[in-house]
Amino acid sequence: MLHIAFLVAAREYLENLKTKGFWMGIIFFPLIWTLAIKVPVLIEKKGVPTRYFVVTDPSGKWKGLIDREVDQRHQREVLDELVSHARRHLKRPADRVDWLDHWSTAAALDEFIAKGGQAGFLKELNGLFEAGTPEFVEPRRHFQRTELPTEVTEEPRETLIDRLRPWLKGEQKLQMNGEPVGLFAAVLIPRVVQEAAPGSAKASDKSSNEGNIQFWSDNLADPALEQLVSETVGRELRSAAYQAKGMNQAAVREIEAIRVPLVSLNPRKAAGEERVGLGDRIRQWIPSAFVYLLWVAVFVSSQMLLTSVIEEKSNRIIEVLLSSVTPEELMTGKLFGIALTGLTMLFLWIASAMGVLYLNTSKGSVAGTAENIPVDLINLLQTTWLLPAFLGYFILGFLVFATFFLAMGSTCNTLKEAQNMMGIVMPVLIVPLLTIPFIPRDPNGTLARVLSWIPPFTPFVMMNRVTGHPPLLDVVGTLLLLGGFVAFELWAAARIFRVGVLRTGQPPKWLEMARWLRSGA
Amino acid sequence: MPVESLALQLQEVTKRYGDFTAVNGLSLSVPPGCIFGFLGPNGAGKTTSIRMILEIIKPTSGSITVLGSPSALAVRKRIGYLPEEKGLYKKMKAWSIIAYFATLKGVDSRTARKRAFELLERYGLGAFAEKKSETLSKGMGQKVQLLAALAHDPEFVILDEPFSGLDPVNQEVLEEIVVDLRRRGRTVLFSTHVMSHAERLCDRLSIMAGGRKIFEGTPAEARALLPPRVRLRTSHSVAPLQQLPGVTAVRQLPDGAWELQLVTGTDPQGILQACFEQRLVLSAFSAEAPALHDVFVHLVGDEAREVKLR
Repeated sequence: MLHIAFLVAAREYLENLKTKGFWMGIIFFPLIWTLAIKVPVLIEKKGVPTRYFVVTDPSGKWKGLIDREVDQRHQREVLDELVSHARRHLKRPADRVDWLDHWSTAAALDEFIAKGGQAGFLKELNGLFEAGTPEFVEPRRHFQRTELPTEVTEEPRETLIDRLRPWLKGEQKLQMNGEPVGLFAAVLIPRVVQEAAPGSAKASDKSSNEGNIQFWSDNLADPALEQLVSETVGRELRSAAYQAKGMNQAAVREIEAIRVPLVSLNPRKAAGEERVGLGDRIRQWIPSAFVYLLWVAVFVSSQMLLTSVIEEKSNRIIEVLLSSVTPEELMTGKLFGIALTGLTMLFLWIASAMGVLYLNTSKGSVAGTAENIPVDLINLLQTTWLLPAFLGYFILGFLVFATFFLAMGSTCNTLKEAQNMMGIVMPVLIVPLLTIPFIPRDPNGTLARVLSWIPPFTPFVMMNRVTGHPPLLDVVGTLLLLGGFVAFELWAAARIFRVGVLRTGQPPKWLEMARWLRSGA
Repeated sequence: MPVESLALQLQEVTKRYGDFTAVNGLSLSVPPGCIFGFLGPNGAGKTTSIRMILEIIKPTSGSITVLGSPSALAVRKRIGYLPEEKGLYKKMKAWSIIAYFATLKGVDSRTARKRAFELLERYGLGAFAEKKSETLSKGMGQKVQLLAALAHDPEFVILDEPFSGLDPVNQEVLEEIVVDLRRRGRTVLFSTHVMSHAERLCDRLSIMAGGRKIFEGTPAEARALLPPRVRLRTSHSVAPLQQLPGVTAVRQLPDGAWELQLVTGTDPQGILQACFEQRLVLSAFSAEAPALHDVFVHLVGDEAREVKLR
């Protein structure tokens, strides 16, 4: 029995491995993952050009402040890039860990600028880089203030925006270093900026532009510059207000620098280790990742199962098969062959995801920082009972659906009929997907507990609850229930399969299938 | 012959689907080492019977003994089967399909592979061994499927409509294969509605119609079911011949020739003599034993037409 089932499984597995779909699936997902991580970064770095803006400021008070803020933000980025460049390319980054880490504080930016910025930083590390280290490339500035186009006069101020309009709309270009560039925004600051006190008429009046700073831009997607102007001016206005009320500037800064002394602690952990670290946060999210993987595995395999059964049915290969193997052997073999295919796919995805993360890990990073996720993950999986629990739920969960699809597939003659059947099953498959974000937030709540005891949802919900320390009753009980359910399903599927695979014509009605279960023929 | 030594025995086998009776009280005995023809018009219940013999479906009542076992699945490694509707895994190579089915029948994978290549080579498909089955012609695919049914060298081979879809050359090749199987002591049961194959091949045959068996025996016994007949061609009136003793009926065949049905034991020479006496100018005269075809049409003609109209 097992030998024959093994032969069927082996053929199923090897044939699936030869299909284009399998390999496209293997390559497709990691590719999407990589692109999802890399592309936004690349676009940010390379794709978005420096954005030029003009500021009119009759009081002459604000231009300088905005310029300083733009520059500071740029310097911060240069500094961060330099630190990451150093981590990647230093010969012995371990010697410099503390020094590299200290740049992440806010105060360090002043030190960086005071010590000569990029040039000073690189000078400090001179000779410590590995051979062949590429030269550091300063990141592109995001924003750059420029003067009004020569054709545009600032006065009369009331109609300035009309004169600027062609540039803002992209009909006219600025000349920067001999190249035409678009004008991203115009910031028109009034002579007197009236602060809008909370609750004042000014704060709620959005209709009038009078007395407001006007931010003109046809790009509404990128709010960064608008925020920058607002924060810069706001800081200055508040500072002036403090002064007006006779408050000590230094004292105000000090008070504003107060951080809430809140740490997350976990009562279940040993004394001294209660602090919630990144590992714990990852652990909180691993379940969701696994639930998602189970879902993808079920979805992908269901297609394979249906196609495989229907191929044998529509080609009438089934008849030769059934003269050589029992329906039970055939079904078991198919189930295992496809489960193995699905697991291979999952394994390769997880491995490639780990690989991508690992390759992005730079040397010299400290354990526990975001850059050590793969190592953390492996440690976590090794040290907890998560892995066996997941495997249990994963395999049972897979069987719940795969068995069902196999039985359904056996009653259909064409893929179209099978797709109609899928239409009935899809809502059941969608529910666990929808609950993925909610279950971890309240892992022992009513919703989670109720769904845990409904077999098709059990694996998804329980896997998602596992780190919320569900009651033992729930874990043992649902595993037993799920095991029993799968056993029943296998029995029922074998009966339906036996009749279904030889059937031609219309797929049977549900009532008819129930009769097959009772009679076994 | 005791049941254990028969290749196959069916006793009062009936299969009903709801109100419809596909096979009705069928009894058969197939001795080992013979070629057994399973004849009948479309819808006679041949395929249903074969499926029951192979235990793919279970009979409603009656018993089936295959190679001495009440369960075909228990002796499945000794049976080879080619179903009526032919199909192969489209993406698999010819050799690997043959090898796969052989391994399912208990041949180890190395031997199965070797045998697949040998068989393909022997039957002129060596060049297609590495081709995916979807690229083969229909006839070639059918040959591959036949080889898959034979690769484990079964004692008992069941072929359901094996000749349908084959060109005349390949039909001849198949006949050779079947004869060769008998030469090597294997038992072959095949179904067909084309009588010429049955005529050339069968040691024994059974004729089914409407789910019932209406004949079982040797081809000679089948032919003896029909009275002898004489066939002649003449441009004169054959009316006087109708009066001759021993002539029961005279009818004109579609090709213009005349057929005289005789009482068993009547000497055709007497008819020829009478023709001369009546001065009939004959362009042809033959006295032949009835063909299996005639027996078949005689036995199931009405039934077959009925099935067709239904």
